[in-house]
Amino acid sequence: MDNMNLLGLLFRIFIFPGFFFLLIAALFLHWLDRKLIARFQGRIGPPWYQPLADLVKLFAKEDILPSGTNLFFAALLPLISFASVLTASFYLPIAIQSAPSFQGDFIVLMFLLSLPSLMYFLAGWVTQGVYSVIGGNRSLLQYFSYEVLFLLAMSGTAIASGSWSLADIRLAQIKESPYIFPQIVGFLFSLAGLIGKLKREPYDIPKAKSEVIAGALTEFSGKKLALWYLTIQLQTVVGLSFLIHCFFSGFWQMSTFSGFIVFLLLLVILQGMLSAISAIYARLRIDQLVYLNWYIFIPLTLLHNVYILLK
Amino acid sequence: MSRITVPIGPQHPLLKEPLSFLVSLEGEKVMDSTLRLGYVHRGIEKLAEQRTYIQNVYLIERICGICSHIHSTTYCQSVEALLKLEVPKRGLYIRMLLCELERIHSHLLWLGVLAKNIGLNTLFMYAWRDREIVLNIMEEISGGRVSHAVNIIGGVRVDLNDKHLSLLQEGLRELTIRVEEILRAIESDRSFRARTRKIGYLSLEDIKRYCVVGPVARASGLDIDIRRDAPYAAYNELSFEVPLMTEGDVWARSILRILETIQAIRLCTQIIHNLPDGPVSVSAPRKVPSGEVVSRAEAPRGEVFYYLRSDGSQKPARLKVRTPTLTTLITLPGQLKNMQLADVSAVIAGVDLCIACGDR
Amino acid sequence: MNNILLKIRSFFYLLPNIVEVLFSKPETIDYPAVSNKLSASYRGSIRIISENCVGCGLCVRDCPAQALALEKESKHSFRLIHYRDHCASCGQCEMSCKFNSIYLDNSYKEASADRKDFFKVLVDNTNKK
Repeated sequence: MDNMNLLGLLFRIFIFPGFFFLLIAALFLHWLDRKLIARFQGRIGPPWYQPLADLVKLFAKEDILPSGTNLFFAALLPLISFASVLTASFYLPIAIQSAPSFQGDFIVLMFLLSLPSLMYFLAGWVTQGVYSVIGGNRSLLQYFSYEVLFLLAMSGTAIASGSWSLADIRLAQIKESPYIFPQIVGFLFSLAGLIGKLKREPYDIPKAKSEVIAGALTEFSGKKLALWYLTIQLQTVVGLSFLIHCFFSGFWQMSTFSGFIVFLLLLVILQGMLSAISAIYARLRIDQLVYLNWYIFIPLTLLHNVYILLK
Repeated sequence: MSRITVPIGPQHPLLKEPLSFLVSLEGEKVMDSTLRLGYVHRGIEKLAEQRTYIQNVYLIERICGICSHIHSTTYCQSVEALLKLEVPKRGLYIRMLLCELERIHSHLLWLGVLAKNIGLNTLFMYAWRDREIVLNIMEEISGGRVSHAVNIIGGVRVDLNDKHLSLLQEGLRELTIRVEEILRAIESDRSFRARTRKIGYLSLEDIKRYCVVGPVARASGLDIDIRRDAPYAAYNELSFEVPLMTEGDVWARSILRILETIQAIRLCTQIIHNLPDGPVSVSAPRKVPSGEVVSRAEAPRGEVFYYLRSDGSQKPARLKVRTPTLTTLITLPGQLKNMQLADVSAVIAGVDLCIACGDR
Repeated sequence: MNNILLKIRSFFYLLPNIVEVLFSKPETIDYPAVSNKLSASYRGSIRIISENCVGCGLCVRDCPAQALALEKESKHSFRLIHYRDHCASCGQCEMSCKFNSIYLDNSYKEASADRKDFFKVLVDNTNKK
């Protein structure tokens, strides 16, 4: 491998579209989310540097955990979830292709994106607080309903393109048309699944403040909490990019500046949708969530997928 | 299945005031709950015996941070009854005006707390935004947003001028529109309905057994309102309806409270249209003749009951306060039984607790 | 027709509201940067017109929070002291004063970590004879 190639690879991993870009995008989307929700509610909202300030403050704080906690696992769990989200971002073409696509990377991405939820559940068990345990249990219960929905709704695009490779899904969209038009139902349901994955309102049952304080993360503080927050913010970017790639990617050319702009625009629009959904719904109860997902959303998604198959 | 015990309180994001619940859970289901109070006991009843009647007006006002005016009104009524003072009409009308403004403020505050507890932050912000109108009016009239210090023994100490009246008219008009919008929202919004319907049910028998008063009783179908049943101040000169619902759940309580808010706005409008002329207060002697008296008033949360005994000195011999919160509080373990943990927040918010009132 | 529209809207009832609010002026203010306007009648700090004060002690007697103290040496030599940490800004002193000497205005002092800031001599006549 010659030097240029190595430098290029490092650039891709750390600067663009790697860690640095993702970090900026995550902080920006988080700020946008808070600002939008504040404006929806008639408030001013935080200044642009607020997410960064929060993060810096948390990193500077003392790291306390209750006695009896397995410190090794408490440190490992946020790291694993952070790493898995970053790895997912590496497989996902965010405006430019950073890693070669292969058959089945769709499933790999799904798996990597679902790892943080499992780590979240384990975090509740590791820290042993009563709110943490309930929060962890709830996150697992929720996991079984939204994950299926997310996978089914997203796989509509794979079925339509006839391939489990992200590159093929994209090529098929360029050949025909972006999947957002024929598969709008699938898109909406995958958005619902993504909200569950990100534990945002109205699917914020595992971290419902008025019931279980902060859920599984109640006992975390300092750097570990900062890492958890960063993971969730990164997950937002990666999850939305995944949706954009699967449903909208016929709209632009890969590796061009205009394509990058269109991509960012879509990211902002989808974040706006997430914020609006958070603002207008009350938190669901766990039985309502399971009912909604298993009796309404998932059957409809299945019907939708059958329709795509037969078409 | 093993049970786990979840402490809710004394410090918990769900509670705005300290109160302790120990909820024992089987999975997500609440099997049992125990209640403990006394975290904000300040000994106000005893303290009142060591202060003069004038000082007590301000002490009594600090029983509660939300319904401060109704407490001092009830107290002043009882002292005036002992002194056999005739409070001027204008003074009574200004007292009633602040009572009703306080009711609007308290109900909107409550709706915000409920909405926050079920995760509907937007409604929370809207309710508190609209409450700001009332708070600004009250600040303009009395000089304080929640501690008005308007009542004195023998009347009130502020008078309404034209600027206040125009501010009131404008504010109440704006508020009518906004509160009706809120009513429509909580009537039809599905996610709000899903989280509040069939939760915290209290039957009419339960209400009577626990002697529950106020909006919680009226939401279960008990037609009780001191303003109409035993009019104090000048409520017999005003016309208003007492809203009544029969569902007895948190949803009914929220609708009922907003209907009451609309009635309170109507009452305020009537008061400023029928405001009589004249002085607002009469001077009261410092010493109160011996005797005992009972005074009642309808606070935003129900009936407030004061017992006052005087021994002829400058200080009361005994002051007993009975607030509506205590009776609603003891219904909570029954309401919580077999609910889900997620509903605990809605139920506790739904009865509108004022722990500071209850503990005193 | 209206009923059907309301039924449909009930699935996302607040959506029109949040869009409306998004494009209107925010209700909150950027507090430390923009100062909060208090109404003219707001009961804030205690002020005194010391020429009017005769040291009668009416305000001290009626103060419910015992925030006022009078140190009297003789009829015309006294100090009136205000303890701001006790004061409840209720305005009873203004009511009790028969000489229009003590009153409240709408200014207020922010919290302080220094105990001295909570102690203020309102009237000091001890040096004059």
